[in-house]
Amino acid sequence: MSETKRRAAKLPEAGQWPDRIAPWMLLAGAVLTTIGFLMAFFYAGPVNGAAVDGVELIGGQMVSSKLLLSQKIFYFHMPVAIVSFASLAFAGYYAIRFLMTKEQRFDTCSKIGMEIALLFVVCTMVTGEMWTRFEWGVWWTWEPRLTTYLILMLVVIAYFVLRSAIDEPERRATYAAVISVIALVDVPICYMVTRLIPSSIHPVVLREGGMSADMGMTVAVVMAGMCMVGFGLYRLRFRQVRLAQRVEAMKEQLED
Amino acid sequence: MNEVLAEIYSTILPSAPYIIAAYALIWLALLVYVFIVMRGMKKSEAQMAVLEEALAERNAKTAR
Repeated sequence: MSETKRRAAKLPEAGQWPDRIAPWMLLAGAVLTTIGFLMAFFYAGPVNGAAVDGVELIGGQMVSSKLLLSQKIFYFHMPVAIVSFASLAFAGYYAIRFLMTKEQRFDTCSKIGMEIALLFVVCTMVTGEMWTRFEWGVWWTWEPRLTTYLILMLVVIAYFVLRSAIDEPERRATYAAVISVIALVDVPICYMVTRLIPSSIHPVVLREGGMSADMGMTVAVVMAGMCMVGFGLYRLRFRQVRLAQRVEAMKEQLED
Repeated sequence: MNEVLAEIYSTILPSAPYIIAAYALIWLALLVYVFIVMRGMKKSEAQMAVLEEALAERNAKTAR
């Protein structure tokens, strides 16, 4: 086998085994997130807020504080945020591989990873905003996690602005890869900021005793589902982009 | 409903629109993305079929 063929065989391609399992992953993800949605409301216990003037027996338990339904947003908010971090990690990995090899296929993979990341970043922002608006009465507050995540979102948006501004493929891919790596660097900062600068809005929940068993189980189910949805969407988009690239190649072949 | 119960449940109804919006917007965003990808896939598949036909025609002409 020639060197070119050997290199091409190692590149990510549509139609490989991940594409065969991707539709099932997408379906399983949809089922798991639906189960997670039901668990959030019917299995995970309510979280208590401010104390009230008295005590009432509800469902066999003495309750002396307000029940916070808004906390149910958390069960989807955290998993979509984690999937956005994972997508950025994938995008960063392929960006580094592009910078090492200058192989356009890795740029394609990195771009799709960034697209999926943007989708989940938007979902995280939307769910976070809904919670902030109800609990704090404001749409935005300059809290460390929110600020670092906003910076992350702006970097991801900048990635696509930059891509659309440059025509030459290799230069575009190189600059985009650098932005992708910058976004990757921001991920651990964004994740660790609640540990470095403690905040009441974003408590550290991924630690021992951070969540009760029912809350942890619900988050785990939604997290597994969202990871599957993210993977399924990535492969679906990859297949579509590769098909579009083959169409372009065939057009060129016909023009010659 | 007594006053204590009313206070315990006081945040439930006002927060409902925000919770519904949060969940609905997540699913909407994901479904819109799937719709865009599927539309692109169908368009590319249709183009591919036309191009393959054109290429086969051209190859047949060249062979003659």
